[in-house]
Amino acid sequence: MKKPLSVLLSLALVVTMAAGCSSGTTTSSGDSDVIKIGVFEPLTGANAAGGELEVEGVELANKLRPEVLGKKVELVIADNKSDKAEATTAAARLIEKDKVVAILGSWGSSLSIAAGDVVKTNQIPAVALSATNPQVTAGNDYYFRVCFLDPFQGTVMANYASKKLNAKKVAIIQEVSNDYSVGLAKFFTDSFVKLTGDPNAIVATGNYNTGDQDFNGILTNIKAANPDAIFAPGNFTESALIIKQARALGITAPFIGGDTWETNEFITVGGADVEGAVMSTFFDDTNPLTEAGKTFVAEYKKAYPDRENIAAVTALGYDGYMMTLDAIERAGSADPVAIRDALAATKDFEGATGMITIDANGDATKNEAIIKTVKDGKFTYMDSVTID
Amino acid sequence: MNETQNNLGAYLKLHWKTAVFLVVLLIGIGLADIFVDSYMRRLLNLCAIYVIVSLAMNLVNGFTGQFSLGQAGFMAIGAYTVAIFTVPVESRAAIFYLEPMAPFLANIQLPFVVALILGGLASVVVAFFIGSPCLRLRGDYLAIATLGFSEIIRIIFTNTQSITNGALGIKSIPTISSLWWTYGTALLVIIATILLVYSSYGRAFKAIREDEIAAEAMGVGLFKTKMTSFLIGAFFTGIGGGLFAALLGTVDPKQFYFTLTYNFLLIIVLGGMGSISGTIIASFLVTLGQEALRFLDEPMAFGLDLPIFRPGLRMVVFSFLLMIIVLFYRKGLMGTNELTWDFMAQKFQSIKKKLSRKKTSTEGGGK
Repeated sequence: MKKPLSVLLSLALVVTMAAGCSSGTTTSSGDSDVIKIGVFEPLTGANAAGGELEVEGVELANKLRPEVLGKKVELVIADNKSDKAEATTAAARLIEKDKVVAILGSWGSSLSIAAGDVVKTNQIPAVALSATNPQVTAGNDYYFRVCFLDPFQGTVMANYASKKLNAKKVAIIQEVSNDYSVGLAKFFTDSFVKLTGDPNAIVATGNYNTGDQDFNGILTNIKAANPDAIFAPGNFTESALIIKQARALGITAPFIGGDTWETNEFITVGGADVEGAVMSTFFDDTNPLTEAGKTFVAEYKKAYPDRENIAAVTALGYDGYMMTLDAIERAGSADPVAIRDALAATKDFEGATGMITIDANGDATKNEAIIKTVKDGKFTYMDSVTID
Repeated sequence: MNETQNNLGAYLKLHWKTAVFLVVLLIGIGLADIFVDSYMRRLLNLCAIYVIVSLAMNLVNGFTGQFSLGQAGFMAIGAYTVAIFTVPVESRAAIFYLEPMAPFLANIQLPFVVALILGGLASVVVAFFIGSPCLRLRGDYLAIATLGFSEIIRIIFTNTQSITNGALGIKSIPTISSLWWTYGTALLVIIATILLVYSSYGRAFKAIREDEIAAEAMGVGLFKTKMTSFLIGAFFTGIGGGLFAALLGTVDPKQFYFTLTYNFLLIIVLGGMGSISGTIIASFLVTLGQEALRFLDEPMAFGLDLPIFRPGLRMVVFSFLLMIIVLFYRKGLMGTNELTWDFMAQKFQSIKKKLSRKKTSTEGGGK
């Protein structure tokens, strides 16, 4: 009785697999009046929240500007499961099966780095939206980005600590398993030491791993060093816990961090303790830097009326799409190599997050960052910092 | 000389089907290598790497009955060895931009094959140190120790900034795109495993799996035999990890979470603990199946916009299919059987018999 059923079920498995293959081949025979742009993001797995926010921005931009060169732009969204091996196959699939002419994404620098080799060998331009690690674009002519880099963000926060907080001694707490956090801490250290002229300006350094819960050991050391400020770039949950435990230990020094803090979880976990925490970020919805920014905010509020604030990565998703379309228009064709050349020549493009000029590395040169703080349980605009 | 020729002739007569199959397979790989696009190539390469690592895991878990969960750690060792020794010297300064590479390593660059084998050997050395205390014990200790080990390795690699570049990972590893590297290695590993499993060592492995006390009473050296199996498994896993690094072109510690091990555990359970052909089938099924179900992640083209067709659905469906398979094939697809010509002929016969029996029974019912 059981055998025929099992045979039937395995048949069903085979049929679904065959269906999967065939549906893949039908999409590859795309017609020529559609331009396909791949969006390659973690939509499941550890980084899903970030990936989804970026996709929102890209989709919104696509709604506002659905055509270029008289052709319809179709988004092909591929999930990379927050996994590196999957990231390379997803990127290869977008290129080979879906025949996209450009790729946007991914959230998470290591996923973008993994896909970098695929886009380079297939000569398809890719635009990273929020991947801040310098290695994403370094040595790869086909990867560009619309966000600023770790070195810039580190410099911004060092300037803030030294000039606005008048800090002379700073302690650093870094998430050692997170490339973003380690990079930021390093660049912060370099520029802070330069600004103060004191090689011992960093009085204590604490390392922790993603997922840690108890930071009392690190914090006790830091308390003994008595710093003027604590720089703790890293994941929002752990960072909020660090601040909470620091306050419980009686550490009163202000906490400063990077753009990853700007999530609602940071406030829900940290509660009243994260009041006054300061972070740098790409975008502020109450105070857009450009006209394009104002349009983006208005459209976003129309599309998602129930959202309280707009994530910076959503604005970057919007910019990535708009910049790519601008490049296609200037290239005058949907040829990937022509688009790449046009992207590389991008100059003073007005994005929602500021003016974007692509430099020789393929990075967006931005000289303006936004400083936000937590006030009354909300992220509030504090200052914008320009560094040349 | 005449005698060896006769032997070869007799051998070929006995195994001509296998020989033909091998030739067809080699031609198939060769053709695929020329015609397949880069997406399919990547998937096929991944399949071969999964075959290598899963077979190594099955050798220890399925054939010797020792529950080892250190695959992610051994792969990490192999992957990092390849990464560290094959990245071109001139691009190292750009990769190790936070902290320069340790001077004793900075100028060493080895050919890929050497680095690959070195990675396998490094895994063996580490496996020896884990195995020597744990394999003397019975029960779950090996599972616990190897699981802990693979986490430790990951954390060590995260913190040795000047050797492994820590959390930043290493990129620009010269990549392999030809199918021959992975399939060549996979074939070698398959052949080695077959030869091993049917040798006296293999019989000793199985004896230990079935009953350690009985095996010991029969004169099988428990510790030495378990160690042999564990070290060979570690070697192949290290090689698989090295190929994995060269396929992706980048490594970082987050790739080697212990969840990576579960992929291989899934494959060997699905294919059958103690079946070589089952492992191979399951490797392809799992890798290609996940990718084939990707259409479920996209909005359906039926016109109506069903909200369930969103990213993540394919994993739900995939898990559901796995559950069904495990329900009906409790010992995995192949159990401990092998997909030999005899096995296939037998299956074919039994299906034929069943069909004819059904026919007669319905005829009987008609009267």
